[in-house]
Amino acid sequence: MAENLRSLVDHAVDMGAKKADAIIAHGVLSSDSQVRFSESRIDIAKKWESLRLEIFIVVEDAKTGATVRAVSTKQDVEKAVNDVISFSRTLPDSMFYAGIEEDVKDYPETTGNYDRGIDDFEEESSDVVNSIIGAGLDAGAKRVAGSLMLTNAESFFRSSTGPEGSRKSTGFELNVRALQDELDYSGQGLLSGAIPSSKREEMIAAGTRAGRLSKEAIGAAQGEPGIYDLVLTPTVAASIVGDIPRRANPFIAMIGMSPLQDKMGEQIAPDFITAYDDSLLAGGIHSTPFDWEGTPAQKTTIIEKGVLKAFLHNTSTARMFETETTGSSRLASIGMGARILLPGASNIVFENGKNSLDDLLDVDRPTIHVTCNWYGRFQNAQTGDFSTIPRDAMFLIDKGERKPIKNMRISDNTMRMLANIDALGNDRTQVYWWEVRTPTLIPSMRVRDCRMTAATQ
Amino acid sequence: MKDGKDLADYCIKYGSDQNCDFVEARYVEDVARGLAYRNGQPVSGGITPSAGIGVRALVGGCIGFASFDRLETDLAEKTVSTAIKMAKNSKRKDPIDLGDPISNKAKWKVEAKHHLADVSIDEMMETADELNKRMAGLSSYVLTINPRVQKKYYVSTEGSEIEGELSYLLMSTTMTASSKGGSEQRYLDLTLAGGWERIEEANLYDVLSDEVSHLKQAAEKAVAVKELMDQPIDMIVGQEVAGIIAHENVGHPSEGDRIMGREGAQAGESFWRDLRLGESRVGSDAVNVSEDPTVPKTSGFYVYDDEGVKARKRELIKEGIINEPLLNREFGAKFGMGSNAAARASGYNREPIIRMANTYFEPGDYSFEELVEGVKLGVFMRSFKEWNIDDRRFQSKYTGSEAYLIRNGEITDTMVKRPVMETTSVGMLSAIDAVSKNLTFEFPGTCGKSDPMQGVPVYAGGGEIRFRSIRLGGVG
Repeated sequence: MAENLRSLVDHAVDMGAKKADAIIAHGVLSSDSQVRFSESRIDIAKKWESLRLEIFIVVEDAKTGATVRAVSTKQDVEKAVNDVISFSRTLPDSMFYAGIEEDVKDYPETTGNYDRGIDDFEEESSDVVNSIIGAGLDAGAKRVAGSLMLTNAESFFRSSTGPEGSRKSTGFELNVRALQDELDYSGQGLLSGAIPSSKREEMIAAGTRAGRLSKEAIGAAQGEPGIYDLVLTPTVAASIVGDIPRRANPFIAMIGMSPLQDKMGEQIAPDFITAYDDSLLAGGIHSTPFDWEGTPAQKTTIIEKGVLKAFLHNTSTARMFETETTGSSRLASIGMGARILLPGASNIVFENGKNSLDDLLDVDRPTIHVTCNWYGRFQNAQTGDFSTIPRDAMFLIDKGERKPIKNMRISDNTMRMLANIDALGNDRTQVYWWEVRTPTLIPSMRVRDCRMTAATQ
Repeated sequence: MKDGKDLADYCIKYGSDQNCDFVEARYVEDVARGLAYRNGQPVSGGITPSAGIGVRALVGGCIGFASFDRLETDLAEKTVSTAIKMAKNSKRKDPIDLGDPISNKAKWKVEAKHHLADVSIDEMMETADELNKRMAGLSSYVLTINPRVQKKYYVSTEGSEIEGELSYLLMSTTMTASSKGGSEQRYLDLTLAGGWERIEEANLYDVLSDEVSHLKQAAEKAVAVKELMDQPIDMIVGQEVAGIIAHENVGHPSEGDRIMGREGAQAGESFWRDLRLGESRVGSDAVNVSEDPTVPKTSGFYVYDDEGVKARKRELIKEGIINEPLLNREFGAKFGMGSNAAARASGYNREPIIRMANTYFEPGDYSFEELVEGVKLGVFMRSFKEWNIDDRRFQSKYTGSEAYLIRNGEITDTMVKRPVMETTSVGMLSAIDAVSKNLTFEFPGTCGKSDPMQGVPVYAGGGEIRFRSIRLGGVG
């Protein structure tokens, strides 16, 4: 099948190069599956097969267009290329195009990104799910829900400017939620990574973790609004604090959606915070040796010792801002139908801390341990004003006691919370789920003086 | 579309020979074109056609789903076999029942005078230019405009054969207005359903001009009003806010799959789980909320759902009491009520699940002026920005974008900065004492649910709503 993939891409590039200034084509063959469960039983098992061709094209110097569609034959490829060329010719010049990668370069190796045992694991995934459900129930849950997603993709790309490459990747995403009979008492267990077949035991442990948390949440009392120190699990830290380096992106800044605009060189976090984008992360879910246009991928330090050091760039934005590309080009969707080459994060990585969770929770001020959150929304993405809802187990630590609480909202500012981190845990974990769609490797953290609100009636 | 339809038919025929209880195939052909602009300048364009078939099989009470995107016979056979195999692998102890067989045959389509497929790129760019002109003067604005036509063909082993066509003009803008005091942002969904003529019918340019003007004013003039925080106040919300409340606080918790736990790990469960239909009160007598896919010229419009069931209006809350949940075939059987045609799939590669269509507060007897006359001290929140709600749909937050101080029965010129209504669903719905007769659907949106995510176009609305004795929130 790899040869078929290559021949379809080659045909697109050979044909497109005769009619356009430049063309990049990616062929992606994927075979994904999922088992979804709730009320401690499997609801549905799913399987997706697809072969899609992704094309980016440049015509008449700076008119750009893109298409993504399924293809089977060379005739399908020809139609895709002709459609996107004729469509792009009708467009005005793009303000966001200043070139693509033009040189052929060696690509670095990535490791731990492909699971040779994924087919066998898929066969047994229903059994694994039933073991996860059992673990959650054994740990004290009354009901267990969740999903286990497996992804398996093979891709080949070629640019008319010379670069080409291929890669294979696998991944998994497990979300377990354990519940009591009451709606208020629940716990979550997450696990994600690239090699599912080596993680069977950890998946079952995620079920145990969810079940234990749901049991510990029993009796949760209404939380009191106020200012608290928060200890965020990696899941919550990835959603709130991990969002900041994801916005170290010139396009996001230019559309007014980044709090990092005009902050380059400033101390935005304590000096023990360092974060980078690492496309080469071993075992990273979005690791890749090359970006979408064929520039070698790399590790880019975004925040170093608390100082904002770099934005992510592709060839076009690097030229626009007179800097170097960071090998971060992605074919991004804007709305439905329009696509453009823009910089984008691969795997966001925070340096690990030294504190155990017990250290973080050894406090002398009222502190809330937030284990999960969802539905984060910005009031103003430029300033970072936002709110999000803790869900599942949440605990108030006060005067040496740990009590479950419920029904509160974090209503604060992401930049202020980044600046107020006062300790990092040593439990760095890769987070990738509903609320966090850029894989983020991040530890637990304690944040001073956060605003918690609750319903007034 | 013929090849796809033939192949969907073949899936059913092939599935019938595989000794399973039920097989359905859904062929979906989708074409979206798109233009994107930043501060009036073109950023990119594209064309995204997709086509494929999703197959769902019920075997021994277990459900499997599989999809493919290349219209090849061997892939069709493989996909049907895979769906059956996935079902068998589920090894579910209590069987899923889809209820009585459904065997509808019909063709339907969204009315469109100027079909979106016939709209040229030049026409799209002219419209985009006009919209961009309306946003000039903002510090930042991003516009996307995406005509999308979706054709569906649904067949099942029970004999259903439904052909449908949807037509959406997806449009949105993210706007930032700046002033000395800071910036205000607003995401505005401008989606219309139908043909290109809807732009004129909906007064789109004027609507956007007003929104831009209000956002600029909010950035320049809005102030915190201390006395509003010191005591319970009355609140009136406009149709856009009424729509999001109907959607989030009533529509979502009424979804049968949430109530019975199927979205437990993803979109969440529902506070309706512990209530009794026809008995439990969640709001005042003035609260009547309905759901209706049959409203023309809306994003939620359909005639048959994605399980082939004929669409009808659903009355979710009647006079403050929960009345009817949204149901597909599986949960219609579980509730013993049958499906009320709430099954939607966002594309060929997604299973049909319970979704909203058009959710709204039924109009009351009041004029807007009458609502305002009765308020001594309060806020009129015409539109909102940040919002969220917990996964049981019980605790919500709506932050005002365009909001005005009401004093002594009159809306004043004082704009209130980001008032926050942070309440429980029951607390909020119980505080409603009146709804105006001015029903409009001012909240178009894309509703997200499930895993993998399924975004489906919806509308929501209502008349203006008056809440008594609300304490503003957001204070910690």
